[in-house]
Amino acid sequence: MTLPTPPQPLTFPALTFAKLAPRPFLTAHLTSPSGPLRPSGRLPSQPRAPTCNAGSLTHANGSAVVRCGDTAAVCGVRAEILKVDDVAGYEGREVEDGGDEDGDEDGEEDEEERRSEEREPKRRRNDRDDLARLMLLVPNIELATGCSPAHLPGGPPSVLAQTLTQRVMRLLLTGDMIGLEPLRIWFRPTEGAAGATGDERIGGDGGEMEARRAGDEDGIAKAEVKAFWVLYIDVLFISLDGNAFDAAWFAILAALRDTLLPRAWWDADREMVLCSDEVAEAGRLVVRDVLVPLSFGVFEGEGMGVGEEGREEGKGRWVLVDMDGFEEGLCREEGTVVVGEGGRVVRIEKSGGLGVGVGEMTGLVELAVKRREEWMRVLGML
Amino acid sequence: MTDRRRINGPPSGTSPPVFASSLSSKVFPAKRKRAPDELRKIFLKTGLTPSASGSAYLELEPSTPTAAHKSLATKAPALKLTCTVHGPRPLPRSAPFSPQLSLSTRIKFAPFAARQRKGYVPDAGERDLAAHLETALRGVLIGERWPKSGVDVVVTVLEGGEDALWNRGQSSDGGRTGGWGMMSILSGCITVASAAIIDAGIDCIDVVTGGVAAIVRQPTAPPQVFIDPCPADQEEIYATCVVGYLQTRDEITELWTKGNVTLSIDLGFEHLLDQAVEAAVAARLVLIEAIKESTEIKVQTSRIGHPKNAAS
Repeated sequence: MTLPTPPQPLTFPALTFAKLAPRPFLTAHLTSPSGPLRPSGRLPSQPRAPTCNAGSLTHANGSAVVRCGDTAAVCGVRAEILKVDDVAGYEGREVEDGGDEDGDEDGEEDEEERRSEEREPKRRRNDRDDLARLMLLVPNIELATGCSPAHLPGGPPSVLAQTLTQRVMRLLLTGDMIGLEPLRIWFRPTEGAAGATGDERIGGDGGEMEARRAGDEDGIAKAEVKAFWVLYIDVLFISLDGNAFDAAWFAILAALRDTLLPRAWWDADREMVLCSDEVAEAGRLVVRDVLVPLSFGVFEGEGMGVGEEGREEGKGRWVLVDMDGFEEGLCREEGTVVVGEGGRVVRIEKSGGLGVGVGEMTGLVELAVKRREEWMRVLGML
Repeated sequence: MTDRRRINGPPSGTSPPVFASSLSSKVFPAKRKRAPDELRKIFLKTGLTPSASGSAYLELEPSTPTAAHKSLATKAPALKLTCTVHGPRPLPRSAPFSPQLSLSTRIKFAPFAARQRKGYVPDAGERDLAAHLETALRGVLIGERWPKSGVDVVVTVLEGGEDALWNRGQSSDGGRTGGWGMMSILSGCITVASAAIIDAGIDCIDVVTGGVAAIVRQPTAPPQVFIDPCPADQEEIYATCVVGYLQTRDEITELWTKGNVTLSIDLGFEHLLDQAVEAAVAARLVLIEAIKESTEIKVQTSRIGHPKNAAS
């Protein structure tokens, strides 16, 4: 709007109006006779279409660039090695039988009688505890990239950045997306000799896995976890126009699905972990579930007063899904619904008001399920 | 000095993976396939961050396409930079009076930008680069037109040139070749920041672009001057020179040379400088093209009245 326009003294461009009186501006849009429509042209329940480009960064094990409207984020997942010897007070869990030393009431004998599928939830819980205790997932969200005028570098991370990081961390851990098994680096005595020479061990991966599995069940070969992969998950915002959480999460999800972990083994002679640089031998990280958040805000219209026809205008309450920066500035009540496979509700966060009841929340969960389909299509899973 | 505001990972620290192939003495030879005076392909686009006054993205392709690689250790990195410009805007009331536009530049590497994971706290190298960038840009801005105002230029390095490959990173060679990658990054930073400043509509006396040239050892022939050296090419470099150059005024706003420059004619400082200027002139063509493109889009959207968000 920089071109010289003929002077029109009594009208303003929409942009000026939005800046001068944002609340009536948004109310006017939502109460327009043609139905509620947001300034961006979206329906209140219509999220922005995401785009995703995975695997574009060279130095990251997995990466993704995600754009939702004017919000764009880059996520890089970087895997580094944590030796168990370096962990203070590390006590190895018996991985094979799923028993734990944390003092559960189940004895060893009961444990053996159980079926493996019965043990599965417990193993998952143990894995989740270990992930959290060893701090194997390290997400950080950086907003201070000049992604919006409110976020300039040169200070500690903003409150928003810290909150986002913590929320992402919690969802990563409670959502049970990543198992511990792909992050374990094993020492297998039988293959130690072969591992040391490094170059000759090509194409033996399948057999080796078999060998380990067999060894595990018999308990003969003393396979031992010597190290873990630590995933540093860094999200940088290139551009921020509202709904940072959804964009950050989507970037993380896409980057994790893109993550390639090199085949790694413990070299007993060198007492260090070595990796194979063959792309063919590297393993894709398994992401168990696609958790999809849907953030929303509740806008309460006010301030329009009595309209020309005598009816009261601007009263109402709208649930706006996937808000942009302008709308975020006007909504006090905000929240997020996270759904997983089959419409499983993983997490609900909401704060700031009483506008959303059970009925609205049910509707939002349905929207989130739809949003999940959209994301999966973008990720190429549907 | 643990940073309690971020998540730091295991307290005992972690180590980057070591590839078994890097322990053997296999060294990949230098492989520059470009001609000595040929630049890498430049991709430049403005307007990536709508909420900033100006923004730009620059990418320099790796010399060898990554898809061809079968090894995780020898993937060739590209150079990827984003830049946002905020302002000019009034300085805070507490700031002392400044008759000119006060420029502040920041360069930050993403944690995944280089082979070594970088922390979030700015290190000396980043501050050094930012100071060089500030020098390069200060010479083009017409600062008198904005008294009592400030402008922030923020460059984020998403992927940076790397000094050595994995294979060499462990060897004794690593230390000697250190630091050359920074020179290419600075050259890219100058170009991308220039594009973002123009996108922000800040008055400049000319368009500044960055160029870099290096004296490179040849295995069989005498050393030669290459423009736009790429760290992934595994060249052995004697000296590098970066310039920020204004073509129409034939002026240099920033000059940074490092290494051993001999006094001979075809390898001397003058020649190296000329070649760096050459590179800057070539980058200028791309920059002008990108600006034209984005200006056309801007004009079009303002004509049809683009329903832009009011978020500021």
